[in-house]
Amino acid sequence: MRALVRRASWRHLWRHPWQMVLAILGVALGVAVAVAVDLANTSAERAFRLSMANLAGEATHQIIGGATGVDERLYTRLRIDAGLRASAPVVEAYGKSGDETLHVLGVDIFAEQSIRGHLNGISEVALQRLLSHPNTVLMADLTARRLGLAPGGRFTLRLGGRRTEVELTGVLATSARTAAALDGLVTTDIATAQELAGVVGRLSWIDLVLPEGEQGKDLRRRVERLLPPEVTLVAAAARTEAMTQMTRAFHINLTAMSLLALLVGVFLIYNTMTFAVLQRRGLIGTLRVLGVTRAEIFRVVLGEAVLIGVVGTVLGIVIGIVLGQGLVRLVTRTIDDLYFALTVGSLLLTPAPLIKGSLMGLAATLLAALAPAMEAATTVPRTALTRSELERRVRSLAPRLALLGALLALGALVILLLPTRDLVTGFVSLFMLILGMTLIAPAVVAGVTHLLAPVAGRLFGIQARLAIRGIAASLSRTGVAIAALMLAVSTTVGVGVMVSSFRSTVAVWLDATLRADIYISAPSLRSSRTASQLDPQIVQHVRAVPGIEAIASGRSVTVESGHGLTEVFALERPPGRGPRYLLRAGDPAAVWRAFGANEAVLVSEPYAYRHGIGIGDRVRLRTDDGERTFPVAGVYYDYESGPGVVLMNRELYERHYRDRAIGALGLYLRPDAAMDEVMAALRAALGGGQEVLIRSNREIRQASLEIFDRTFTITNVLRLLSILVAFIGILSALMALQLERAKELAILRATGFTPAQVTGLVTVQTGFMGLVAGVLAVPVGLVMSLILIHVINRRAFGWSMQTLVPADVLIQAVLLALLAALIAGLYPGWRMARTRPAAALREE
Amino acid sequence: MNVRARIITAGVGAITGAALALGLLWLTTSGPRAAREDASSNLTLSGTLATREAAGFARADRIRPLRFPRDHGPHPAFRNEWWYFTGNLQSGDGRRFGYELSLFRFALRPPPHPARHSQWATDHVYMAHFAVTNAAGKHFHFFERFARNAVGLAGAQAAPFRVWVEDWSVEADTTNGFPWRLRAAADGLELTLELTAVKPIVLQGDRGLSQKSAEPGNASYYYSITRLDSRGTLLLNGERLQVAGQSWMDREWGTSALSEAQQGWDWFALQLADGHDLMFYQLRRKDGSIDPHSAGALVDPRGRITRLGPQDVGVEVLEVWHSPRGGRYPARWRLTVEPLNMTLEVAPVLADQELDVSIRYWEGAVDVGGRRNGETLGGRGYVELTGYGTGGDE
Repeated sequence: MRALVRRASWRHLWRHPWQMVLAILGVALGVAVAVAVDLANTSAERAFRLSMANLAGEATHQIIGGATGVDERLYTRLRIDAGLRASAPVVEAYGKSGDETLHVLGVDIFAEQSIRGHLNGISEVALQRLLSHPNTVLMADLTARRLGLAPGGRFTLRLGGRRTEVELTGVLATSARTAAALDGLVTTDIATAQELAGVVGRLSWIDLVLPEGEQGKDLRRRVERLLPPEVTLVAAAARTEAMTQMTRAFHINLTAMSLLALLVGVFLIYNTMTFAVLQRRGLIGTLRVLGVTRAEIFRVVLGEAVLIGVVGTVLGIVIGIVLGQGLVRLVTRTIDDLYFALTVGSLLLTPAPLIKGSLMGLAATLLAALAPAMEAATTVPRTALTRSELERRVRSLAPRLALLGALLALGALVILLLPTRDLVTGFVSLFMLILGMTLIAPAVVAGVTHLLAPVAGRLFGIQARLAIRGIAASLSRTGVAIAALMLAVSTTVGVGVMVSSFRSTVAVWLDATLRADIYISAPSLRSSRTASQLDPQIVQHVRAVPGIEAIASGRSVTVESGHGLTEVFALERPPGRGPRYLLRAGDPAAVWRAFGANEAVLVSEPYAYRHGIGIGDRVRLRTDDGERTFPVAGVYYDYESGPGVVLMNRELYERHYRDRAIGALGLYLRPDAAMDEVMAALRAALGGGQEVLIRSNREIRQASLEIFDRTFTITNVLRLLSILVAFIGILSALMALQLERAKELAILRATGFTPAQVTGLVTVQTGFMGLVAGVLAVPVGLVMSLILIHVINRRAFGWSMQTLVPADVLIQAVLLALLAALIAGLYPGWRMARTRPAAALREE
Repeated sequence: MNVRARIITAGVGAITGAALALGLLWLTTSGPRAAREDASSNLTLSGTLATREAAGFARADRIRPLRFPRDHGPHPAFRNEWWYFTGNLQSGDGRRFGYELSLFRFALRPPPHPARHSQWATDHVYMAHFAVTNAAGKHFHFFERFARNAVGLAGAQAAPFRVWVEDWSVEADTTNGFPWRLRAAADGLELTLELTAVKPIVLQGDRGLSQKSAEPGNASYYYSITRLDSRGTLLLNGERLQVAGQSWMDREWGTSALSEAQQGWDWFALQLADGHDLMFYQLRRKDGSIDPHSAGALVDPRGRITRLGPQDVGVEVLEVWHSPRGGRYPARWRLTVEPLNMTLEVAPVLADQELDVSIRYWEGAVDVGGRRNGETLGGRGYVELTGYGTGGDE
């Protein structure tokens, strides 16, 4: 008997291959997106952790410096005065060769053995050359291959505006275990690293191995007594953790986006399975008469779901891995833009994301198939549920679902109002809200069709009425299809509104902030801990260029403590020029007076949010005189730095940091000076020396917006993917619907409908479904965007933004839904029109 | 002399290379076996490197007047250089100790050196060996260390005299003259000594030019202070001991020394109870014969020198010792110095005084007994044996 049931199931699936393929594709895409994002996330994080671990090596502690690192003489004192053997100096910098970001690590080979092992395989000839010849470097074999280099080869390394021709003296052999940690790493002698990075005299940090227990504590005390105030001793593990935590919000955001795609996939599976059951209600009834038990029916339906789930999941994982390759680059670049330089060579295939993806795919499929399976199992023997009976039941279920949806939405609102800053909670409420809205959708569809059918009939005739009534009549399928499409489209609305709000906020902010006419800066990678600086003579040359009325200068340094990195920006305003910062909090006159008088600092909005700091509070910073606190006079808008910035008057900065370097200049032109001429004069004056970026106000605005857009590339990619999943969903739903209605349409044909009229009927029906989904998606999307803007973004980054609802995003959304539905309706419509009524009628 | 010459042959490459591959690694992570295997390959490799790169360095090819304190300081135009301190010490309670602190300089590349901005840029690497023989405790401790000649991590200077590799150092308090302070510590072991010369400087070879093989330039500048009164403290196993005794300093620099045919040497530095000091090195050829460039000197209590050639000193091996790390070392000798009518028996205070470092060699404290002109003669000293360890030095 079981064999019979199984054969019946199998033959059904076999005879409806398209349905199967679409369902599998839906699962596959959902799983693929989730897996790809997870893989990219894990790769980025693991690459980061591995490279941190590899960098730290055996080091248990690190001595980290002030704004410009550690004075190199401290290392000699540690070695000789404290006799600290297990210690190693490091000079770290980030450079580029072509498009490749390279992590330059300058070490003392004699100190390395106690800390890091990666020089072990290098020949002594190479090491000797590294030690005695300037501009010689080592890199991992796979990095060298990617750059097309062999030992002895030369390449140009760009670092802080300097281009240096360096020699690849040797390659580090990597194993599968070390590849991720060593890829992108350029190891060189500490002297070469200082020269390449232009940080002669400074170390990035000093690694220490302190034993555990009392002996370690003693040693630690001895070391701490030697430390000047600007440096501090931190535990290596804590440091890695603090750095990792910085990007946590970003990774959570990505994961949430990927789950959305999977959610759309779940709807799709539900739809497919429900349809598969309904289609066979006659068969199931017959089987039950033959003595097949409910449990057996239940198992068979679930079995089909498992089949779809397994095939879809496997396919999804394969697609996910391919997709992840592209995604990991995007993730890395975004982290680069927002947080710190990160080199991730390739996707790391760890089992966890694959296992998670598989479980998610299977669980989602089973969950989605549960309701249809139960429905099949409860089918009454012989006279299986009539179609109208089922639809009646669904219609009566719709209000109950809507009520549940409303409750969910209400719960979401309550959670949103909780006084928490937890990002995950924010996403939970977002998902609850979306789910709630989706559950309400069928009821709304029923209501709308009920209201509109007579109107449509009066306006467009019987066909239109039939089409629209048909939607309500098969609510069991149309409801789900519309809900899935609405969900996908509303996501694009929500994300679209959020991104354009964000972008316009940033544009306004840039206009207000970029007050100088020309900006000069050293090219740098974001937050590489050796801040880029302009050669002093550049400042001299600039002053000599005619047409410049005033010069502002900025210096950005990253101050590290055991709790993470803080960006400090030292600003020197030219006298008589208004402040270029938009204040979020504080009375401008008072704020700028306190700032100018060196009485207080300003903090950027993300910093204030992250640290819960407001006006009147104090920020704690490590300075060259040890830890100091500074009162906060105001909070200003800033969209550049993820972790946030402490803004300090140059004078105050120089009082606390023995750093006189300048990172960037802002030039104000005389009213009569021509921008082009001054730019040309600057280029002529600054040519030949350090490579610097000379950019007009407009260029820098454009460059900033480009970075902004780049940051949201991933978001857009994910958005498109979830629409694709939804599109497949609606296609399969419509096909199922129309194919199932073959008999109904045949009757219409028999009663005199022409093929064109049947096609029209189908088109109107699908078009209407798309329209309903699109229109419903607008409010849902708007609510979503509000949550994204005011809850998610705020909690993740601390940024506040003006809400801007661009009409085109909304119109596009409706059109998108409509178009998706129409395209999806093409094939079923065509097929219906071609069906010979007699054949269709005979089939029953 | 000693390890030193062998290192010259092996050259700079061996040192940096072996050092990097083995030095700290040996002390911290991997076992001696791995270290030895690496050493042999490094040495093979560096042999060619050394010959190729001898060009560009100054050579010990003529007599140059040595002046002090200037020549206590470094001679960077030559490829290698060392400051060698060995000594026999005794604690207040009569326990016997020996020590070695040797500091080596190796040039990484011949001049001219490129101008560099970074203070870390270096053309010389320093290596140091520190060993203590605990005769009563029957234990031999040895350590090796490397540092670059930059940012104050290692270096040497003439006035006031100072040579150091991190916190191992020998330095003078004043611009010119003694006492010198010797300090070295590792792994809970700590030696601090005050050294005062009791004899004048002895120029070895011909006015300080010591020819090591026939080819011109295969030589070094070589001087010694054969007797330095030494007193200080030794921290051993948590116990701080007052120690006193006699030290011996050897200073040598050059660019190349041994020829291809030479295998190694046996070097004796013996301080006799009657106030005489005997230095003799015997260069062994690969064919087993004794090289005619072997040489030595007897220094009388007032510092007057009697030079000795290979024909003057007979070395008879009375016993051998098998190193657990491989290789067979002579372990007891009879030295017959016919022109002086002297016969000495030299015996290690401990069989295993082998330093298993970048380059494996034996350097240990010895007891001396014997007769001169029929009178009984005692003494102590240091012996260095190279080219015996299989693998390491071959």
